[in-house]
Amino acid sequence: MTALTTPAVRTEALWKTFHQAVEEVHAVRDVSLVIEPGEFTALAGPSGSGKTTLLNLIGGLTRSTSGRVSVAGQELTTMSNRELAQLRLEKIGFVFQAYNLLPVLTAIENAEFPMLLQGVGLDDRRRRVRELFEKTGLAGLEDRRPGKLSGGQQQRVAVIRAVAGRPALVLADEPTANLDSVASEALLDVMDELNLALGVTFVFATHDSRVMERSRRLVRMVDGAVDSDETRR
Amino acid sequence: MQHFGVIGLLALRNLRRHLRRTLLTALAMLVGGALLMFSLSLGDGTHESWIDSGVRMGTGHVTIESPDFQVSRKIEDRLSADARAVVEDALREPGVAELITAVSAKMIVRGLASSAAGARPVQVLGVEPPEEAEFSTLDEQVVEGRYLEPGDGLAAYVGVDLVESLDLRLGSRLVLTAQDVDKEISGQLVRVVGVFRSGVPEIDQGLVHIPLETAAAWLGSGRDVTNVGVLVAESHDVPHLTAQLRTSLAEPIEEALIRVIGWREAMPELNAAVAIDDFGNYLVHGILFVIIGFGIVNTVLMSVLHRHREFGLLQALGLTPRQTGALVLVEGLVLTATSAVIAIGLGVFVTWYFWGEGLDLSSMMSHEMTFSGVVIDPVIIPLFRVARVVQALLFILMVGAVASIYPAIRAATIDVSESMKFER
Repeated sequence: MTALTTPAVRTEALWKTFHQAVEEVHAVRDVSLVIEPGEFTALAGPSGSGKTTLLNLIGGLTRSTSGRVSVAGQELTTMSNRELAQLRLEKIGFVFQAYNLLPVLTAIENAEFPMLLQGVGLDDRRRRVRELFEKTGLAGLEDRRPGKLSGGQQQRVAVIRAVAGRPALVLADEPTANLDSVASEALLDVMDELNLALGVTFVFATHDSRVMERSRRLVRMVDGAVDSDETRR
Repeated sequence: MQHFGVIGLLALRNLRRHLRRTLLTALAMLVGGALLMFSLSLGDGTHESWIDSGVRMGTGHVTIESPDFQVSRKIEDRLSADARAVVEDALREPGVAELITAVSAKMIVRGLASSAAGARPVQVLGVEPPEEAEFSTLDEQVVEGRYLEPGDGLAAYVGVDLVESLDLRLGSRLVLTAQDVDKEISGQLVRVVGVFRSGVPEIDQGLVHIPLETAAAWLGSGRDVTNVGVLVAESHDVPHLTAQLRTSLAEPIEEALIRVIGWREAMPELNAAVAIDDFGNYLVHGILFVIIGFGIVNTVLMSVLHRHREFGLLQALGLTPRQTGALVLVEGLVLTATSAVIAIGLGVFVTWYFWGEGLDLSSMMSHEMTFSGVVIDPVIIPLFRVARVVQALLFILMVGAVASIYPAIRAATIDVSESMKFER
């Protein structure tokens, strides 16, 4: 008998409509998707295809117009802002295109920030983060401020920040868009390894072919709707 | 609040990050706060000087008299010898005696002063010379002769304008006429032993001091007096002393034999002058801090507008909108509180600097200025009060908090997904 697992992400007939002047723009149209724990999924598509909006809906950063979305079994559409914040803190890690490290914190403080909010003790925080710094080739850069790190280094710190708190899901929005090919490959190696070693579920929004190639599931979006859903390898 | 430590850490780091902006805002608050503190101390010093001048020329910080005397000013509305004894006992009670710096029992009557040159309406004060010398400053304002002394019999201490209008000089005879205790008009011959100049025309023209014993013999009042005036070290102590006396003199007060009133009630014009001046000062302080408040709003709001993405990120990482707003509020409050503490320290230092010699404004006053029996001293000695420090601190903090509310709301209500867009 097979044990039933809770999907990392489930969306059902999800719609997101923006009202611009007199017209309505359907950024996400009727998306129903199930992403299982441990998946390494890319949402691909051209600009305006709705992948970032879908990612924001899954991350609870924006609310759907209709439909349902749940993360690790928790329904987001009925949650208050406070509950959404708590869910993001406990279950979701984010990696953004522009790195988005807090400029007033050092690299290690940035990386451990979600754990600080979670109330993880200093020793535990430092141990987990230092391990990841070693693993991602950032050892020795812990005390640097974001401004003193390269783009690739900043994005790796952002990835550590996203996974160090042991979330059920990491949402990465165009994580390689600002990186050169070497830095992109290195970052993808890191995420790949974390996915395999820690079982962290990754969902990317991307139009970078390298990310698409490395993904083990590729969901293509066109005009806000899922055009194809392909599981690979 | 949850995550308060994290919010505090971020607030401090953000203030340090924009050091120049932080310092400029702090400087504005520093100057404003120091000015506020010094101006409050100066205002208090000015008022204390007015009050001191007024109560010494009048009936004291606290006066105990017959309930009807203030309105009637008649000799029949006086304190009997027994009532006076009860009052004097109450003034010696522990808890009361320590607050008091001087006591003077007086017989105050309205009458007429006449000489060969004419007659003038006057207020005659029968006083115990040593007690009154402690109580009033009039004994220090002698221009000729001397103040009354113990053992003086038919002596009078008169104002310089009265001397002029009645063509008097030292040793001149003067006849005082007033209603005695039997409601008969009675006259008393006295000789001028001293002449004073208070600077207040009504006093210099219309006040005569004579020994209380002489007044008692003249008016047939024995040990009765119309008032027992009390001075305290600071006008601040008046409400407390008044309350204490009202408690210990509850019985005669209940029997309508006496009443205890503070200077505010006894001298309503002076009270109004202090209140109006206070209002003016508060208005100026308010305007000053509205301007400073806009400066804080501008600084904090600019900071919020520049940090949209940062606030979006914080919410993506797990801070609630309310906690994001709290971060901005804490930044504003930390900035305000730090500036306020330094500002108050600076204000207290300036107050201390002027405390000894005072601030001499005599060059701005071409002549002596008076109102309601009060001579305005051109040298203002600022008065330091701990309560003012607390008030100023709370006021500045309140301005800081209010000024940070709008930027905090802006930070709390950002659209997270919009704020995270790269193109922004």
